[in-house]
Amino acid sequence: MKIAIEELAGCSGCTIAVLDLHEALLEIVEKAEIVYAPVIMDVKEPPEGIDIAFVTGAVRNRENEERLKLIRKRAKTLVAFGTCACYGGISGLSMLDSPEHLIQHVFRGVTTTEADAVIPSDVPPFLYRAFAVGDLARMDYYITGCPPKEMYLKKILPALLAGEVLALSKKSVCSECDRIMGSVEGWKMKRRHEGVPDREHCLLGQGYLCLGAVTFGRCGASCPHSNVPCHGCNGPSLDILREPCRDIYNMMIRRIADLTGHTEAEIEKEMYDVAHTFYPFTIGSLIMEDKGISKIRDLVRERSR
Amino acid sequence: MTEITISPVTRIEGHARVRVWLNDEKQVERAHFSVVELRGFEKFLIGAAVEEAPRITPRICGICPTSHHLASAMAVDQIYGVTPPETGRKLRELLAHAQCIHSHAIHFFMLAAPDFLIGHDAPALSRNVLGMVKQAPAIARNAIEVRKLGQRITEAVGGKPIHPSNAVPGGMSRPLEEAQRTALLAMAKQGLAIAGEGWALARTLLDATDMNLGAVETGFMGMVRDGGYTLSDGTVQITGKDGKPLGSFTGADYVQHIREYSEPWSYLKFVKLSSGEHYRVGPQARLNLCRGMGTPLADAALKEYRARFGAFVQAPLAANLARYVEFLASCERTVQLLEDPAITGTKVREPAGKVVNTRGVGILEAPRGTLIHDYTVDERGFIRECNLIVATCQNSWAIDRSVEQAARGLVTDGVLTEAAGNRIEMVIRSYDPCISCATHAIGKRAVAIEVLDAINI
Ligand code: SF4
Ligand code: SF4
Ligand code: SF4
Ligand SMILES: [Fe+2]
Repeated sequence: MKIAIEELAGCSGCTIAVLDLHEALLEIVEKAEIVYAPVIMDVKEPPEGIDIAFVTGAVRNRENEERLKLIRKRAKTLVAFGTCACYGGISGLSMLDSPEHLIQHVFRGVTTTEADAVIPSDVPPFLYRAFAVGDLARMDYYITGCPPKEMYLKKILPALLAGEVLALSKKSVCSECDRIMGSVEGWKMKRRHEGVPDREHCLLGQGYLCLGAVTFGRCGASCPHSNVPCHGCNGPSLDILREPCRDIYNMMIRRIADLTGHTEAEIEKEMYDVAHTFYPFTIGSLIMEDKGISKIRDLVRERSR
Repeated sequence: MTEITISPVTRIEGHARVRVWLNDEKQVERAHFSVVELRGFEKFLIGAAVEEAPRITPRICGICPTSHHLASAMAVDQIYGVTPPETGRKLRELLAHAQCIHSHAIHFFMLAAPDFLIGHDAPALSRNVLGMVKQAPAIARNAIEVRKLGQRITEAVGGKPIHPSNAVPGGMSRPLEEAQRTALLAMAKQGLAIAGEGWALARTLLDATDMNLGAVETGFMGMVRDGGYTLSDGTVQITGKDGKPLGSFTGADYVQHIREYSEPWSYLKFVKLSSGEHYRVGPQARLNLCRGMGTPLADAALKEYRARFGAFVQAPLAANLARYVEFLASCERTVQLLEDPAITGTKVREPAGKVVNTRGVGILEAPRGTLIHDYTVDERGFIRECNLIVATCQNSWAIDRSVEQAARGLVTDGVLTEAAGNRIEMVIRSYDPCISCATHAIGKRAVAIEVLDAINI
């Protein structure tokens, strides 16, 4: 069994998540041979005949695209690994600006740069937009999570290597959360940093924008468990993926309206910075953008004006 | 003119390439370390509610997410005018050390050590951590064990081992429970024992190595607290290449001391001192600047390090050992913090509300060096300007010059062998560069070492 890890536009956190199997990794490398993984070994190009390849990161430039095509060709089974690969992830936020503006700003527009600084030219150019890997190549499996969590990888990876398919929970973060609803009387939207939430009741009910209801689980509702609202790092929940008329934003608004008795219009007025609070992990996904009701297109248009 | 490319540089975080240009006499004309990715964080954070930054910026880098999380939270504390209570501060310090334990362990044992233990000219397929599992299984197991300590602490205190969530404006989102403390302390003691034993190996690691490889001379920058070693809550000191103090800063005044610039052949920005002098950050810089480590094992190791290389060290390869001295210090400090009764205090957070200051600057020592998050917001707390100064940009001139220096000695008759190429990469690895941090990944390249003929540049 030959396995490989390819990295496109991401943070290497997904590769670290594999190392975070700790001693369980030793069992895996006994059964499988890692033949290509540039962060940990000196093989400079994916060889032929890979059985399973994991691709992490999004596609943001031509090179990412070429790497993706090459690994697709050389691997029998290709797994989109992590939220960047599955939905564009944080790299997708770069869609909020045109590549030209982004580059100008980074090299000339920040406090410690100079207005006439060199703009790198002998470097690979951006594609016109970000893509999730599934937007451009056929994937055999998707494993979401930013990064995917140890307790699930410990089940998923050995099964994948053994050629088995596991039946795992496909529920939302809310279904893994131990909070109870409590009273929502006098509900008022709060910014995520305001005050101190109580530990027992649903964060959304307390006025915090917690995306648990619209987010795919398998993190044990880690953030609400630590008294921090979910910001959606596992990507969208299954119902949103399946139903064209459901999107992260409209389902959240509907949920808050149902919960509080306020109209959707009233709720919408309270929302702020929709790009970074609702879509930080999905803005680069073509599938998510293509939904008729998605806010992504508006957000991108607003910013690049 | 002929161009030799090593791409990607492997066993570093993120992707970069080395390019060597030869003249007609097959001599090295020049060489560069070039990065083919661009980070857009400084732009796409504009408009964000600033409290989202501590959760978005960890995604700059999966190896040092905690450092970004903490530097960002410190900047946001200032903006909302809140100061973490004692326990909150100590939990954050614990996170900063857990970050160094994991990152230094990865670098020392899994990325750099194979060059020294398996051999820098061993076959590429075995010259890595997997080769170590086979050839030095005890070391590999210990490496896994100590790194796990770092990640378990980050998970317990920060919420998640990668991309932690719990540093919030005003402190931490939850206290550490007694049961967690007990379990972590047992792990920390075991980790410290492993780290202590590992010194016997670490101290000899460079014995057979030519310390002149990749030599450069620069100034240095790093944080100290009361003159001693620290990762946070200190003053950032600067020295020239002669070791003479060149000033210090603690906040927004950093702007007076450094300038960024760029080159056509890399997305990696460069940082130099306002005087024009180049400098380095990271383990070696911190050791050059501090009086002592403040913990017994690390201080003993520092003494040996200084006896061997001097009190002010320029050789880039020495960073491999400096990193281990710090690794010991972080293991020791972790035990201290976990034994401190205040660590399980329940007052971990001061409630935040409206914007109090429109600018916040968080400064912290990340594993690879001084990290600065500087945000300016409007009156409602939406980011207007964002400046991120990360370690690898501050080291990029030195890395680039080390690469050229090494290449001059390693290209013979116009040929760079695979093993010689790896020696260039070894010098790069000694800086432990983090490309995701330095640029944020938006593009990567990989081809085998190749010699391209007649490329005009
Ligand atoms: S999914 Fe998250 S952890 Fe994985 S590469 Fe992307 S940002 Fe990093
Ligand atoms: S909305 Fe958040 S806090 Fe409420 S149940 Fe869902 S995950 Fe838990
Ligand atoms: S709770 Fe939400 S933000 Fe936190 S890890 Fe789970 S999916 Fe990610
Ligand atoms: Fe990093």
